[in-house]
Order: sequence, then structure tokens, then C-alpha cells
Amino acid sequence: MADPLKQFQIEPYVPILVGNADLSFTNSSLWMVVSAGAVYGLVMLGTRHHAMVPGRLQSVVELAYEFVADLVRENAGKEAMRYFPAVFTLFTFILMGNSLGVIPGIFTFTSHIIVTFTLAMGVFLGVTALGFWLHGWRFLSFFVPPGAPKLMIPVLVPIEILSYCFRPISLSIRLFVNMMAGHTMLKVFAGFIIALGIFGVAPLAVNVALTIFEIGVAFLQAYIFTVLTCIYLHDAIHMH
Amino acid sequence: MGKLLSIAGLLATSAVGLAIAAEDAAEAESGGLPQLDVSTYPSQIFWLILSFAVLYYLLTRKGLPRVSEILEARQDRIAADLDRAARLRQEAEETLRRYQAMIEEAQARARTLLHAAQERIAGDFAARQAALEQELNEKIREAERRIATAREKALGEIDEVAAELVQAAVQRLASLKITKKDARAAVGRVAGE
Repeated sequence: MADPLKQFQIEPYVPILVGNADLSFTNSSLWMVVSAGAVYGLVMLGTRHHAMVPGRLQSVVELAYEFVADLVRENAGKEAMRYFPAVFTLFTFILMGNSLGVIPGIFTFTSHIIVTFTLAMGVFLGVTALGFWLHGWRFLSFFVPPGAPKLMIPVLVPIEILSYCFRPISLSIRLFVNMMAGHTMLKVFAGFIIALGIFGVAPLAVNVALTIFEIGVAFLQAYIFTVLTCIYLHDAIHMH
Repeated sequence: MGKLLSIAGLLATSAVGLAIAAEDAAEAESGGLPQLDVSTYPSQIFWLILSFAVLYYLLTRKGLPRVSEILEARQDRIAADLDRAARLRQEAEETLRRYQAMIEEAQARARTLLHAAQERIAGDFAARQAALEQELNEKIREAERRIATAREKALGEIDEVAAELVQAAVQRLASLKITKKDARAAVGRVAGE
């Protein structure tokens, strides 16, 4: 039986060494590039006719655009629309990576903690820098809960700061664990299909159901990542 | 029955699967979870940032402006169409108002014309009636005058005839010759009685 964790192995395709750093082009890199290319290709292909009445693909592109725009407007406010391109890139990139990963044989780069953590750190640092840039040192008052008794402030502020700093960790772990767990389950059940002979129908059925479930998870996790990003943006722009 | 069997099979395979998975996991742990292999981190971070940045750049420069352009064009078009519809409607209402005013004016003119015609006809009728009455009256008066003259003339002639009759009767009866003057006086005397 194949190791269900083998699918997460990073396989270098083109070794690239820059100084001491190993920047090899790997299976993970391949699907990152493919995902980015697929998102951009879909957007460009969908809008190539500039149709007043959209066709099928253009509807998909417009739907994605409106969906993310509404997400930003509702969760982060109108002022946050300046950062809409970043949020749109984040959502479509993660969604494409998750969804392509459901296809058997395709490496899911979002199942690696370092990838999701880098994304989450990017959001965290960007949002924090934005908070300081917009509000200066007053942004620190974000860590003082409004209406808290003065006596409690020395206790509450460290808790607030700690919970703030945990944001990128929870954000990255949620996405990575969901993707990894789903794919491990799929592989585990897939391992039984041949092994059980005629009874392999049962794990096959489970895998079909799991695959449908995973498509849902792929979308949901991209959505959650994006919504939380918008909420963090809201905190940085409006403070509470 | 078949359903029960399949459920039982499913449970059995799940149990076996979990057992083997646990074993595998233990096995994999010896080799380490691929996600925890730090040596792959630089490559993953590098390619992630690169592909994300390129995608962000391309979408910001070309992709998203194109989508928003299309959406805005449609929004503008819808707004323009609504505007035009409102304008056309206003024009139609204007035309309807003008049309109604025209009909009202025409009706009013027709009424005045009818009224004038009626008055003229009534006037004509009255004038002709008056003329006819006058003519008839004149004719009546003429006839009366003629009758009166005829009567007077007849009355005058009666005296004359009576006088001649008296003259003739007297001559015949009494063989007396009386003058016409006397006879007339005698008739006048008798008539006067």
C-alpha cells in the first residue's frame, strides 16, 4: 500500500541553486505557476470579447469579480476597495490551487504549511503595516478593548496582542490542515480500492463522496482565507 | 440486504483502512512529514512569491481593469437605456397631452360652428315667417279694401238702381214722370227710415 503522505513529497524538477539557497523548480512550483497562469488565462479568455451580454466564461469571470468585490465591500468597507486587486489575487490563487489539487495526480501546493504561512504572513504584515501607515502610533490603541475597566488594561492588552499575533498562525494552519487532511483521507481510501478486489467498490464510493466534499472544502477554505483577510483589512482601516 | 452488506463492508474497510493508515503514518513519521522538511522551504517561498507577484501584477495591470471596464460599460449602457426610456415616455405623454388638447379644441370649434348654424337657421326662419306674415297681412288688407270699395260701389249703385226702379215703377203705375232727383230723394228718405 502506498504511503498516503507520499503525495505531499516535494520533487525537484529543475535544480536551481542560488548561493546557499535551494530554489529548485519543483512539482509544487509547477502547480503554483500553472495556477497563476490558469487564473490569468481564464480572466483574459473570459473577457476577450468585451461582450455586453456575457457568454459562459465571461459570466464566470464577472461572477468571481463581483463575488470578491462584494466580499471586500461587506467585510472591509468601501475604502478597502483600493486593495481589491490583492484580495482578488489571493482568493483566485488559493481557489485555483485547492481546486486543481482535487484532480488526482496534481500536487496541492496549499497543503504545505510553509506556503499557507507565507501567504498568511504576507496578509498579516501587509495589514499591520497599513494600520500603522493610516493611523500612525494611534494604531496601538487597537489593542485596548473599548470600554474595558482601567484596572484590567494591563491584563487585556497582552492578550489582545497575543491574539493578534496568532492570526497568521490560525489562518495558515486552517488552510493547510484542511487541504492535507482531505488529501490524506482520499489517498487512504484509494489505497483499499485495488487491495479489496470486488469489495473495493465500497472505498471507491467513499472516495467519490469525499471528492465531492473536497471540491466544497477547496472553495470554502479559499473563501474563509479571503473573508478573514477582509476582516483584518477592516480592523486596519477602521480600528474596531 | 444488499444495502446492509454494503454498509457492513464499508465499515469493515474503514476500520482496516484506519488501522493501516495509522501504521503508514507511523512509518511516514520515521521519514518525516514532507511538510516539515525545512530544506524545501526556500524553494516553496520563492516560487510562491514569484507566481503570486506575477499574477498580482498581471491582474492589476490588465485582467481586472478589463473586467471592471466591461461591468462599467454595461452599467452605463443600462443607465443610458433607462434614461432614454424615461425620455421617450415623457415625449409620449407630451404627445398625448397635445393630442387631447387638439381634440378638445376641435370639439369646441365644432360646438361653436353648430351653435352659429343653429342661430342662423333660426334667424332665417323667423325672418321668412315675418315676411310671409306681412305679405299675408297686406293681401288681407288689400282684399278687405277691395271688398269695402266693392260694397260702397254696390251700395251707391243700389240707390241709383232703386231710384231708377222707383222712376220706372212710378211711371208704370201712376204714369207720372218724376225726376231722377226726386226719386233719389224718395229712396233716400225711405232708406233713411
